[in-house]
This record gives sequence, C-alpha cells and structure tokens, in this order.
Amino acid sequence: MPDKLSFAKTFHALEKAISIAQQRNSYITSNISNIDTPGYKPKDIDFKSELASALETNRTVDLEKTDPRHISLENNGRQIVEPYEEEREWNGYNWVNIDKEMTKLSENNLIYRSAVEVLLRKISLLKEVIKEGGQ
Amino acid sequence: MNFLKSLETSASGLYAERKRMDIIASNLSNIETTRTEEGGPYRRKMVVMSTKEMDQGFDDVFNNSLKGVQIEDVVEDKTPFKKVYNPGHPDADKNGYVLKPNVDLVVETTNMLMARRAFEANIAAIKATREMVMKALEIGR
Repeated sequence: MPDKLSFAKTFHALEKAISIAQQRNSYITSNISNIDTPGYKPKDIDFKSELASALETNRTVDLEKTDPRHISLENNGRQIVEPYEEEREWNGYNWVNIDKEMTKLSENNLIYRSAVEVLLRKISLLKEVIKEGGQ
Repeated sequence: MNFLKSLETSASGLYAERKRMDIIASNLSNIETTRTEEGGPYRRKMVVMSTKEMDQGFDDVFNNSLKGVQIEDVVEDKTPFKKVYNPGHPDADKNGYVLKPNVDLVVETTNMLMARRAFEANIAAIKATREMVMKALEIGR
C-alpha cells in the first residue's frame, strides 16, 4: 500500500478487517454445517487479536524474491489466520453449540458490513476531495 | 474466493440434512412394513455424518482446517423388533405374535425436527454470507 495516498492507513486497516471477517465467516459456516457430525470440534478465529497482529506485523504470504528488482506484495498478500479449537461443553454428540454459532454468525456479519460501510464512506470522502479540488 | 467456500460448506450441510430427512421419511413410511426383500420386517436406518474436506485450491494450503459435512454411511439400527400379538395377521408366528419394525414414531419425529432446524441453520448461514457478498459488491460503486 503506497504511504503517500491519503487514508492509506485507514484503508489498510479496513482491508485487513474485511479479510479477517470473511475468513471467520467460513469457519463459522463450517461449524454450522457440522452441527450433526459426531465428535466434531468447532474452530474459530479471534477477530480482535488477528486484526491487531495483522496491523502490527507482516504475517502475510509474500512472493519469493531472488532478485532485488522483483516486485513484492508489500503486505497486501493473503492474511494468514490461525484458527483455534474452541473450548465448549460436550453436548453428548459433539462440541458444537448452535446458539453460539448463530450469534457469532450475525455478529461477524455486522462487523463485516460495518467495515465495508466505513470503507465506502472513506472512498466517497476521497471522491469529494478530488471533485472539489478540481474545480 | 473464500465466500464461495463458505457457500459450498453450507451447501454440503443442506445436502446432508436433506439426505437425513429422506432416511427419516423412509423409516416413517415403513413403520408398519413386515415384509422386505431381505426377509423379515423393515429395519430402521440411520445416517452417520462425517467431516468432508472441501476441494483444495492454492490458497487453501493455509486454511485446510475448513471442513464441510457429508453422509459417510447409512447404517441399520440393531435394536430388536417389536413383538405385537395379532393372531389374524398373515405374518404371525405359531404363538400369534407379529414382528413389527423397530421404528419409533417419537424418535423419528424428534430427529425430523433436528434435521429441519439444522437445515434452517445452514440456510441462515447462506443468507449471512450472501449479505456479506452483496455488501462487498458495493465497494467501488
């Protein structure tokens, strides 16, 4: 992400938040589909700590460089998340708690949509600046 | 794309629950069946579900812990048949007892409810994913 671009930091943070929320969604849907699988252990990712570490470090996939002129993804590669197995009560069949999963599903949905909404507003601000500055 | 994977996972859940519903329907319709091809009354069937590896793409190397669901096997319930005294029945033994299928109406109805709720949970997951995709499409508009 070029540093000189306005809002670069915000864009970067939002991008990471969206990416993590998207991946969390696939873990939650996976847990929901395995609601009747005997002995299944639900997996989840911690949105907060994943986002914090994504903003701190470059824990992303990057292209291998064998020559200094090779291009780099510059922290725009895919975010690696670390799923953990949740500590849940054994319900006699598996460890899936459907109420918790559904709550997480809608919570994560809201986080994702708010992040996209903020991104949209940032873009429209940027558009406004370009439009007004050009007059 | 990760969203497609989410949808695929939910779809595998829908498919498994629908198959489970098929088996329950088969059990319920055969609740009085005393003659089968294998001989003897109908045996109650059950599904066994297991996790299913979703198709592995390049970027799945990093999150291969994502699992869908599949019906691993359909097994027969080994509980003994019910014995009902009905001397007029053509399948009655010499003491007048008829062997009836080991299908319990209450058990089947409960399982049916659970399959339905699980199906609905998967539908809700698909709706949530869909909302997210629709929202993402607004970026750059």
